[in-house]
Amino acid sequence: MYALLLVFALPALGVPFVYMAGKKSPRAAAILVALIALVNMALLFTTVPTILNSPNHEYVESYDWIPILESEFTLFADGISVSLAIITSVLIIVAAIFSINYMKDKKNLPVYYSLLTLLSIGLVGVFITSNLLLFYFCWELMLVPAYFIIGGWGYREPYRAAFKFFIFTHAGAVFVLLGIGAIFMVTGTTDMFDAQAALMSVSPDLVRWILLALTAGFAVKMAVVPVHMWLPDAHSEAPSPMSALLSGVIISAGAYAILRLSLGTVFPAVAGTTFGIDFLHGLTIFGVISAFFGSLIALVETDIKRLIAYSSIAHMGYVMFGLSLFPSAPIIGTVAITAAITGTVLHLINHAVSKGLFFLSAGAIMHQTEIRDIREMGGLAGKMPFTAVASTTAALSIAGTPPFACFISEFLIFVGAFEVINADGFFLLPTALMLVATVLSLAYSLRYLSHVFLGNPKSEGKKKILDVPNYMKVAMAILVILVIVLGIYPTFFVHLINTVQFI
Amino acid sequence: MVGIVDVILPIASLITFAILTLPVFKTIRKTQHRTGLTLIWFSIAFLVSGAAVANLAIQYYSLASSPSPLPFLNITLTDTPLAEFSSAFMIDGISIYMAVMFVAVSAVVLIYSMFYVDSSRRPSERYFAIMLILAAALMGAVFSGDLLTLFIFWEAAAAGSSFLMIYKKDPVSLNSTLKYLVMIIIASAFIVFGLSIVYGLTGSLNFWAVREALMVLADKSLLLIAFILIATGYAIEAAIVPFHFWLPDAYTAAPSSSAAFLSALIDQGSYYVLIRVLLFILTPPAVLNWTFMLAVMAALTMIVGNMFALIQDNVKRLIANICVADVGYNLVGITSVTALGLTGNLYFFLMGGITTALSFMAIGVISRHGFRTFDDFAGLGRKMPFVSLALVIAGLSFAGVPPFGGFMAKYLVFTAAIQANLSWLAVIGVLTSVLQVAYILRLVNYMYAKNPKDDHVIKEPKRLLIPIFILVAAIIILGLYPQIVFNFIKPITEQLKFIPQITP
Repeated sequence: MYALLLVFALPALGVPFVYMAGKKSPRAAAILVALIALVNMALLFTTVPTILNSPNHEYVESYDWIPILESEFTLFADGISVSLAIITSVLIIVAAIFSINYMKDKKNLPVYYSLLTLLSIGLVGVFITSNLLLFYFCWELMLVPAYFIIGGWGYREPYRAAFKFFIFTHAGAVFVLLGIGAIFMVTGTTDMFDAQAALMSVSPDLVRWILLALTAGFAVKMAVVPVHMWLPDAHSEAPSPMSALLSGVIISAGAYAILRLSLGTVFPAVAGTTFGIDFLHGLTIFGVISAFFGSLIALVETDIKRLIAYSSIAHMGYVMFGLSLFPSAPIIGTVAITAAITGTVLHLINHAVSKGLFFLSAGAIMHQTEIRDIREMGGLAGKMPFTAVASTTAALSIAGTPPFACFISEFLIFVGAFEVINADGFFLLPTALMLVATVLSLAYSLRYLSHVFLGNPKSEGKKKILDVPNYMKVAMAILVILVIVLGIYPTFFVHLINTVQFI
Repeated sequence: MVGIVDVILPIASLITFAILTLPVFKTIRKTQHRTGLTLIWFSIAFLVSGAAVANLAIQYYSLASSPSPLPFLNITLTDTPLAEFSSAFMIDGISIYMAVMFVAVSAVVLIYSMFYVDSSRRPSERYFAIMLILAAALMGAVFSGDLLTLFIFWEAAAAGSSFLMIYKKDPVSLNSTLKYLVMIIIASAFIVFGLSIVYGLTGSLNFWAVREALMVLADKSLLLIAFILIATGYAIEAAIVPFHFWLPDAYTAAPSSSAAFLSALIDQGSYYVLIRVLLFILTPPAVLNWTFMLAVMAALTMIVGNMFALIQDNVKRLIANICVADVGYNLVGITSVTALGLTGNLYFFLMGGITTALSFMAIGVISRHGFRTFDDFAGLGRKMPFVSLALVIAGLSFAGVPPFGGFMAKYLVFTAAIQANLSWLAVIGVLTSVLQVAYILRLVNYMYAKNPKDDHVIKEPKRLLIPIFILVAAIIILGLYPQIVFNFIKPITEQLKFIPQITP
């Protein structure tokens, strides 16, 4: 019954071993990181039967931590959090394997892998706790190692990008901290679920501010327009395995936090009021703007990684739109999860996998060709067939084409949207606009593919271009398979997510 | 029963060891194993005084667990009805907590300075003796039970610390020490004047006698003057904006080991005095809206401290300015007189002390190689990896990034501020914390991103790294599991309910 505690403890205890292994051979360190993540994934899977079969559909472990603050070391998993944690572990494994070849010529690799291990605590931990303080610990633990990884091993002016990343998301995080402090102050508890019940009897005026502070803070991490400015720099200057984690997991954590904390914990206290409805409409508007903004810039961007980074902003727009379809009526008793929310969570998973693959294949291209400008590429399909297949899978999934993963989740979001339109006509126009945005995402994906892989080579490369080395192939193959499997058979995760109820 | 001997023992033992240090060093210098013997000598000193403090703590808590009317133990020299007029000691949870902290932190700082100022050279024994005496004086200040005893011990500590600053005897440190001394003397003049008015009003200087007399005072106009005088005096000594300008100069010019000692012990002592005198004794009669004034000053201190830190080019000065900002964060906790605020404060004393001491210690190691400004720090992460790591951890702890101790400290004081209906203060505190992250990251950027002028790796002295990493471990462990400290603080916060009318 210590499964989730081990998920925390393993990487924490593993850091010195990873460092020592890295001193001997970086490859051993990478494999150790992957193994730790693999064990963590297995541990997470052991909680799945409990979640599916127990009456509350959740799995909880609780340990003493800081009694004076009513704060326990509560580890908790339900359908949503465990699915996201599992996908996070997958991406950590893939990033570690990909790094073996990708980071080969870089310096200080033992430190890199140690930081990656440290990062994995925060990345997984943020999904599997219901204690607000522990949540915040993990939330910031995503930040510090990521800062040093981007800064230490990134491209061009990496510390500048890392600085932007740190300052933006930390500024967001302190608003989250204020919100958490206020929740503790008015309810006397730091457990999300206790707080949710206690907040129902608190004056709505205060709850409003808490809701806004939390949502604003999380939105920064999620990189929704207008607080997206850090994303293109950080995601494009980071080393590609790190970009995959940034785009796959870290921004998803922002979306997860909005769902779990803003909407799940605080929102019920103002649900049904005009403010509550306006709040959701506000989320919709930001979502639509982000989707269009990201897609349009991705359509003209020429830097291979910035293009993908902007597509992340666009996709966070979809997620934000999906989140805004949260049931706005006062919740009485327990309410089963709606299609829109299932779709949104599923989209987080699918987007993580697809975008991870997208960044890895872009990294592979950069690694082999040493070019970043997609206008200078072309005809790479013949030279790098494996990478071409991986990129095509990722791009088509991002564009929302069946049978790849993102299609099914976008479809679910739209199904949910149509359900909501029946009750609230406001959503008609945004839904129509979001449908237009999917066309845009197909456009930039196809532009990317045609520039990079089709046509004739435009510039003479400095060296003969070969396809990627084996470890990179393994890493990408895992994700290609996942993208296709999740597209055809999403039932496992849908099943898990559907067990969640909002109280 | 806690006797007068129990209280005096920790103070007396430290002073005895301080006096004995001079002849003992004379003998030690002649032997082969200088370092080992010095280390043993100071270990004995701290073990003995630590045992004395532990004895006091055990006595006190065994008494507190039995049904006793008040958790505040008054210990006087005489038993006559005139006891109120004689010097007195008062023991409560806070004073014991502070005493434990002083012993622990000064032990680490002393070990560091033993290697830092090179104990084999001549006048160094005086330096160590003064450190021991200062620790004793601080302990006397936290044990004291009337305003005069507090004044004497505290001024001894504050003025005595100028000897630590002036150790290098160069013009810059002479200049800034003079500035410091002048400020301290002005401050004590203010305080003495204020205290004489209080004595005139109440006929006593004993904490509780004064407190009770002031509560029933009919005409409060004189008290207002006394209050302002005393508050100004202690505000100067605690470096609250706008009386803060001596601090960056003094700490920058002082040797790093002295700066570590001052920031970790004297600073925290000054916050203690603020809490004790202003909040427990002089505020309850409510002569003016003091909490609000204090909140404004806290906001100013946070803003000014961080703004000045932002524009510094000298890294040591930057840390000194963070010390000023830290005063502000402490004041946030002091302002909200709640159990949570007190917990936050006491925890902040420890974490803030450790963090500033740690950063000054790290700067000390670095500045030995002549690195002072941001430009000198370029590429330091590769040249001196361990010290740089320690400095970065200290910086992130300052900025309140979990899992380091500074986060929990800030979380507690901000939550306490929200609880005391001072949300605006919490917002200012949080925003200035973001500012802190900005300049800390600027430093990190210089240390890790820029290329050094020359590329040779500098050998880091292992002896200095040991005390530094003891503090790093303390920051991380106490940050992840603060309950260790909270267990000590819990009984203290329950004291608050014995103080009537503490909340306005």
